[in-house]
Amino acid sequence: MIRNYLIMAFRNMNRHRAFAFINIAGLAVGIASCIVLFLVVKYELSYDQFLPGHQQVYHVVTKQVYPDRVHYQPGVATPALDALRTDFPDLATGAIYHNSGGQVTALGKDPNKQSDQKYIEGAGIMFADPQFFTVFPYTWLSGSPSVLSEPNTVVLTRKMATKYFGNWKEAQGQYLRIDNALTMRVAGILEDVPLNTDFPLAVVPSLISSKNNPELYGYDNDWGSMNSNFQVFVRLPANVSAASLDARMQAFSKKYYTEGRSVKSNFLQPLSDIHFNKEIESFGDHSISKATLWSLSLVGVFIILMACINFVNMSTAQAVNRSKEIGIRKVLGSRRSSLFGQMMGETAAMVFIALLLGVVLAALCLPYVKYVASIEEPLSVFNPQVLLFALVLGVLVSFLAGSYPALVVSGFNPLLALKNKFSSASVAGVSLRRVLVVTQFAISQALIIGTIIAVTQMGAIKNADIGFNKDAVMVISAPGDSVIQSRQQAFKSALLANPQVKAVSFSSDVPSSDNNWSNNFAFDHKEDENFHLFLKYADQDYFNTYGIEFIAGHGFSKSDTVNGYVVNQTLLKKLGIQDPQSVIGKDIRRGGGQWFPIVGVVKDFRTNSMRDDIVPLAIASWRDVYSASGIKISGTDFTNTTAFVQTQWNKFFPEYANTSSFMDERIADFYRQEDQLALLYKIFAGIAIFISCLGLYGLVSFMAVQRTREVGIRKTLGASVGQIVYLFSKEFTLLVIIAFAVAAPLAWLFMNKWLQNFTYKINVGAGIFVLAIVISMVIAWITVGYKSLRAALANPVKSLRNE
Amino acid sequence: MIKITNLEKVYRTEEVETIALNKLSLEVKQGEFVAVMGPSGCGKSTLLNILGLLDDADTGSFIFNGIEVVSFNERKRADLRKHNIGFVFQSFNLIDELTVFENVELPLIYTGVKAAERKKKVDEVLNKVQIMHRRNHYPQQLSGGQQQRVAVARAVVNDPKLILADEPTGNLDSSNGNEVMQMLTELNEQGTTIVMVTHSEHDARYSHRIIRMLDGQTVLQNIMV
Repeated sequence: MIRNYLIMAFRNMNRHRAFAFINIAGLAVGIASCIVLFLVVKYELSYDQFLPGHQQVYHVVTKQVYPDRVHYQPGVATPALDALRTDFPDLATGAIYHNSGGQVTALGKDPNKQSDQKYIEGAGIMFADPQFFTVFPYTWLSGSPSVLSEPNTVVLTRKMATKYFGNWKEAQGQYLRIDNALTMRVAGILEDVPLNTDFPLAVVPSLISSKNNPELYGYDNDWGSMNSNFQVFVRLPANVSAASLDARMQAFSKKYYTEGRSVKSNFLQPLSDIHFNKEIESFGDHSISKATLWSLSLVGVFIILMACINFVNMSTAQAVNRSKEIGIRKVLGSRRSSLFGQMMGETAAMVFIALLLGVVLAALCLPYVKYVASIEEPLSVFNPQVLLFALVLGVLVSFLAGSYPALVVSGFNPLLALKNKFSSASVAGVSLRRVLVVTQFAISQALIIGTIIAVTQMGAIKNADIGFNKDAVMVISAPGDSVIQSRQQAFKSALLANPQVKAVSFSSDVPSSDNNWSNNFAFDHKEDENFHLFLKYADQDYFNTYGIEFIAGHGFSKSDTVNGYVVNQTLLKKLGIQDPQSVIGKDIRRGGGQWFPIVGVVKDFRTNSMRDDIVPLAIASWRDVYSASGIKISGTDFTNTTAFVQTQWNKFFPEYANTSSFMDERIADFYRQEDQLALLYKIFAGIAIFISCLGLYGLVSFMAVQRTREVGIRKTLGASVGQIVYLFSKEFTLLVIIAFAVAAPLAWLFMNKWLQNFTYKINVGAGIFVLAIVISMVIAWITVGYKSLRAALANPVKSLRNE
Repeated sequence: MIKITNLEKVYRTEEVETIALNKLSLEVKQGEFVAVMGPSGCGKSTLLNILGLLDDADTGSFIFNGIEVVSFNERKRADLRKHNIGFVFQSFNLIDELTVFENVELPLIYTGVKAAERKKKVDEVLNKVQIMHRRNHYPQQLSGGQQQRVAVARAVVNDPKLILADEPTGNLDSSNGNEVMQMLTELNEQGTTIVMVTHSEHDARYSHRIIRMLDGQTVLQNIMV
């Protein structure tokens, strides 16, 4: 019996190749999408799950409550580490000091050697104490955590040791120089940490080394200041829950955090939250909200649902063609249940083929998806978990897609079936099929609307006026140490000797960045304001280099220390001042220090990414903190000028790796995640449209066959080609419109929520919705058009003679 | 073998009520060959469908092999059908996707016959209707006469007690038609009961008895000699 069914299944597919193709293609694409999304979601959810006992690991974070805002801090005050150890002796407590973009010079066996082997470590250098490895029990290839109790020792991962010394087995005992300042002996080798981690350990010097160099690493041993680079992690004993420590944490915070303007308290963030929390920054290269993961999963569900709908639609429509077979089988004594089984079996056979194709398709697409989702881990479709998922998906899809048509077909009355008395209209009700098509179109239109909004928003951000000129500005970051600062002037003069270099400025920070340096402050000899003033320190050429516009006053004069402030419009707004001229000459005092006058007011520019509000800002000179060089070059001889700058850098700062980039690239980098998300939306909206078009095409071609006679009669009676095409398109047009009515409000709600993430956001106007419906309509018409035109152009004599 | 009494079947639409069978009574004995004739719409096909347990009557009694089957549900009817009744249709009703062999094999699959046994029986019956040489062909590759022979083979492969034939020669030329009628006669001679609906007086003459119907009732019975 099974063999007979299989024979029928394959011969049927062969005979109705177009239908089989449409069904299988739709399902395969749907299944491939699901597999890929499953892999991405699973990968993101797997972050740091490899760590033994990861459920008991927590991050001690700080909540800072200001009068006007609440801020979450990944770091703690530096003395908190020892205090936690004293007050929570039952917990294992370890700490990391993170120095992002630090430089490593590989020295080899001689600690006093000069070396050209300079590396900027993007993931950063993580100073750690021995106890950190109790919390994070990584595998040691040689050495042990205790080596980190000594100053000037460093532990490397296998990969880093190989990179610096060729062979990791020989690395132990050799030397590195960190940030051109600290010479360190390699005292241990760690096994490489998996890539799905927010703790990309690479170079791990002992924490005590950073503590011993407070001027270099800002280790200030002060309860009043917070350092987001200094982070503490605890491992709870198996029988202790985080909730049970809440009260003790509160008491701890009250006891120690008595200074500063904000109310600070520590609390425990589970390790499992780190990757998904966008408020508390992690060491990893990206975080992703659970909401995004769920919406990706939802997209997957939608797509497979659409493929199933196609299947149901096409199979019930096509069931008419099989009515004779069903009738015969019933006459020959087949039971309904065995016919149901047969139909299900046929579906399962198709789903199985689609499954195979889907897995292959997913495997082919994976490299691209990994690139889009910035996953570096070598993911594979061919692993037991994914294959199990695919199998479960296959079974689910078989039931979802197969059971309804099977129920309908097996329920045919044998007499009517034999006489071919079924039309596609009478099978399974036209209304059900309409509902399904509407659902499908609603999904794809919602995705189209979402995509248009996301893409428009991203475009708007990229092209928005950021308030300064980001073009042709090279930025080189280097540690702001005294060596660099002593050579800055000479470097600047050498650069400016080239007429292609328009301006050079040194500063603590570029105009737009993720850095936040803020302080309490007072204005005009009054009490401290109840909000923070954000600070950027820069030399007098900053405004010129980055094209920042003045609306009142002027820049400050050349100085190595603060001699006056330039403020932005947002600060004035926050202070309630209308006239920018009126603040010139009034004084500002930061952090209870000295008063200095405001010398200029600049037009607002984007101090952070477009996601964030523009902050109240003051710019002043302070040579000691300059670490970024901004070099404005003329656009006429780009390549040579860039090379010239690089050469000069290497000449003046041979010990420092060159990390130049362009300001516009750095800004584009801010929106990498949004870009990727927009791209993902585009891809999956495209897939959704593809699947719904397949379905529509199938239905229309079926309709064309079914209505051949009707078309013949109508043509004989004088209908024009246009009228016939209209006959076919009018129903689908109506369905698209109904689907739009369902999709538009839902998409609007969802995307409006997404837009709340941005302070600079587009207006979701009627235009976007008009565009969406026009796109769907055009796609539907094109899909329907070809088939209906062919039906309309067919010779009516033929179709009637066939009767 | 068949005894129906006061059988009534009415087709209703919103506006029209059509009486297909009007208190019809009829008896067919084991081994008989009965032809049913009458104009279009007289109820012949309805009668045949009810006899074949494909349709049910509104009132009346239908005793098949001594069992009252009027109240049977679909499943019981399917079971009774597959073991006892073979069908031959005017339009052959072969499944296009199956070969000659597979089409004939189908009833045996439904009655749960083992594969080896099936092969033997199908080959036997294909030989009998002289279509063995085309056993691996598909219906579309055969002539009408050949298709009907396959249909007959399929109807008899299960050794049914009753064969219901609905205009078996309607789509055939006269020589092919005669061949089919010859086959039915042989089957009948071997003991199979046959009820055949036909428009053709020529075909009807192959039977033992002709029942003439009009407006859902039997109006005349001719006994053939």
